[in-house]
Amino acid sequence: MIAIIREIANRFLGRGDATITVPSFDGALKPNQILEQAETLFECEAPEDLATDGHSLFIADGTRLLRFAGSSPTLIRTFERPISALAVLPSGGLAVALGGREVHIYDSITAETPGAVFTGELHAVNALVAAPDGTLIATDGSCERDVGDWARDLMELGETGRVFRLDPKTQTATQLAGGLGYAFGAVASGSDILVSESWRHRLVSIAPDGARKVILRHLPVYPSRLVPATGGGFWLTAFIARTQLIEFVLREPAYRRRMIAEIDPEYWIVPRLRSGSSFKEPLQGAHIKTMGVMKPWAPPRSYGLIIRLGADGSPRYSLHSRADGLNHGIVAAVEVGGDLVVIAKGPGRVLKLPLAVLDKEARL
Amino acid sequence: MTDIILSLSQATKLYAGVPAIENVDFELRRGEIHALVGENGAGKSTLTKVMAGVVTLTSGQMTVGGVSFAPKTPLEARQLGIAMVFQENSLVPTMTVAQNLFLGQEKFYNRLRGIYIAAQQFLQSLNFDVTPTATVGGLGAAKKQMVEIARAVLHKAKVIIFDEPTASLTPEEKKYFFDLVRDLKKRGVSIIFISHALEEALLLADRITVLRDGKHVVTDDASKFDRARIIQAMVGRDLSNTLYGARKDSVRPSGRRVLTVQNLKMAPMVKNNSLSVFAGQITGVFGLVGAGRTETFKIVSGVLKRDFFHGGEILLNEKPVRYRVPGPAVKAGIAYVTEDRKVEGFFETASIARNIYLGLLAKFPSGRTWLSRREINSAGKTWIERLKVRATGDEIKVVELSGGNQQKVVIAKSLIQDPELIIFDEPTRGVDVGAIVEIHELINKLADEGKAVVVISSYLPEIMALSDRILVSRQGKVVEEFSGLEATEEKIMYAAIH
Repeated sequence: MIAIIREIANRFLGRGDATITVPSFDGALKPNQILEQAETLFECEAPEDLATDGHSLFIADGTRLLRFAGSSPTLIRTFERPISALAVLPSGGLAVALGGREVHIYDSITAETPGAVFTGELHAVNALVAAPDGTLIATDGSCERDVGDWARDLMELGETGRVFRLDPKTQTATQLAGGLGYAFGAVASGSDILVSESWRHRLVSIAPDGARKVILRHLPVYPSRLVPATGGGFWLTAFIARTQLIEFVLREPAYRRRMIAEIDPEYWIVPRLRSGSSFKEPLQGAHIKTMGVMKPWAPPRSYGLIIRLGADGSPRYSLHSRADGLNHGIVAAVEVGGDLVVIAKGPGRVLKLPLAVLDKEARL
Repeated sequence: MTDIILSLSQATKLYAGVPAIENVDFELRRGEIHALVGENGAGKSTLTKVMAGVVTLTSGQMTVGGVSFAPKTPLEARQLGIAMVFQENSLVPTMTVAQNLFLGQEKFYNRLRGIYIAAQQFLQSLNFDVTPTATVGGLGAAKKQMVEIARAVLHKAKVIIFDEPTASLTPEEKKYFFDLVRDLKKRGVSIIFISHALEEALLLADRITVLRDGKHVVTDDASKFDRARIIQAMVGRDLSNTLYGARKDSVRPSGRRVLTVQNLKMAPMVKNNSLSVFAGQITGVFGLVGAGRTETFKIVSGVLKRDFFHGGEILLNEKPVRYRVPGPAVKAGIAYVTEDRKVEGFFETASIARNIYLGLLAKFPSGRTWLSRREINSAGKTWIERLKVRATGDEIKVVELSGGNQQKVVIAKSLIQDPELIIFDEPTRGVDVGAIVEIHELINKLADEGKAVVVISSYLPEIMALSDRILVSRQGKVVEEFSGLEATEEKIMYAAIH
């Protein structure tokens, strides 16, 4: 009874769970323009994920698998469904998630038929990563919504994300964790697995026995894929940023229900991978534009961010494309040679940043 | 007849031997608007207080209308036509506008109706839209400002000094205030105008004087200034000043996030403020008066309360906290070293040891019924030694110590609590040179030990010398963050003003 009264009071006073606040971009997350100023390697229609075998860069672009070695990408093969996740295995094999519902594992990059196929339970596989024991870790964002329908899952406060261990030898899929607020990206960290929980703005470490520990919380963004970084630690991509407007909408179930039922999804008050294409887009008031110029500190509908994490999961520095930029919707990153290559899904760009200068520039 | 209505030559004012202004020359022309700008502590307020008779000069000369004059009280200055409108206005909130206007001019028998009629006529003559029968406490900031101005004009002021008059005004009220000032100028009144808002000084003033560290830097026509020149004059001190140490060539990396402030609100001072503080680092917070720095951290430490409705969120070690009084904050590991040590920092007639021990008492979960004299003395001795408090014994009363040693006692009182987050608010204000160096060493040591340290300071060299990261606050929120490596005085001041 007291809990009910407290909840009602909190909603009225804007406290507790009803607090509509967003953490600030400061400290290691202090904004800069490094991502916005990054060199564009090439542009493509629907880039989704990156992988490398240490020499070449592989790009999942819609249904196409591309290899980039040199100055332009070459087509390796085309799948019947869009690739939602990609991984190159230490053995030289290839793993692809197709439409979020199937994972195909090939013995080599050019193999025609898959050595193993996982279907059935999978619904929205959005990241694949090779585990040290030869298995594959897959994050499944939602049991209810397709991989491309993540905005709806956010508006429905989806908590059906899962993490699977896929064993190509036995062709079995074992669920390691469930009930996650959109699992999107994982990486092996010792014997544990570090998983991005996008809707809860945090990174969770999952032990082999299933025990969970929050490593990083209260992020001002929605975290996504994780990849190992040279010198220890990880790169964490963040595909969208949090704003008070979205936080407010997420606390208004009746409003969300009507919005989902009546409004074209393109104009929902949800974060997007790109923005500014139509004047009908919802904006958060205050300091958006002055004299027609978008201000970089404006509350963004779309944003670009990669965070360099230390081995303990704490942020070291970050690379940004702010509200007035274009390189938004960062969904994947990988180190190739001496560069960090990232996908800005918003404008459909593959970007390159030299690692040698990043540490120095971004720490300032 | 000379054009100079008021002048000061070689004006020096010492506070406990420390110069607040030193050999300052200043001239005010008849019917001019003269802006006085400078950093906090530059000596602007002291200079104007000398003119208004609030404080007297230690040495130097002041003339009014060419006649040597040294007012000992505000009344003496007012009788000669010098009135000061303070930032915190001096009106009696429970009295009406008319009563405030005629305060100090009461006759043996006062007919209230007569006062109201006279006030009404006078306010109308000034074109001030203020009801004379209204209680001052119920008026807005701009209307209170009008009453202050009206009172100055009523007292036939030839010189009116405004100390930060626009700090609490809305943009519309500011515009109206500027019109009033221009109107006063037309009437031949000379205006001295202290402001941190440089564009206001450039817009309104005929001439601008810049003070720095208590010394006169430059006086020139406002048309010959721009923002860059004023800022350069305000902060262009000798950076090789060794008192605050050399410029940083490395900064401590941030540790785990200890404090997160999200969209904090406390009207009218803190407006949607967000910031983070990390372990093992000194986070400097710079801002001009009214930037909401102190208020933000007083809310964090439970001294002030945030807004009742939608007041934002504070996370300590990633857990939401809301302290209504400082006690729970102290127990949770937050120490706030106040900027006003004499009022909030210590009990001046209690001994050093007892004052330090008070800090420890606050940390005990349920207080103490009986106090151990041995424990008190032991705590006193330990911290006097550790912080090098210069006193002949731990039983000396704090009031008998110098400013620097008093500050060390206040710091010891907080450090004895073994806090995780230590907030220093103006840690070296009114502190002697030797103690400044020692306090800075102590602050650095705390950060090296892994504590999360916040230093709020209005003095740029101090912020630059201490901070690993610098947050600049303006109008109630943090507007810019600099790394200790990239920050320059000009950059910080620019962010604080624009």
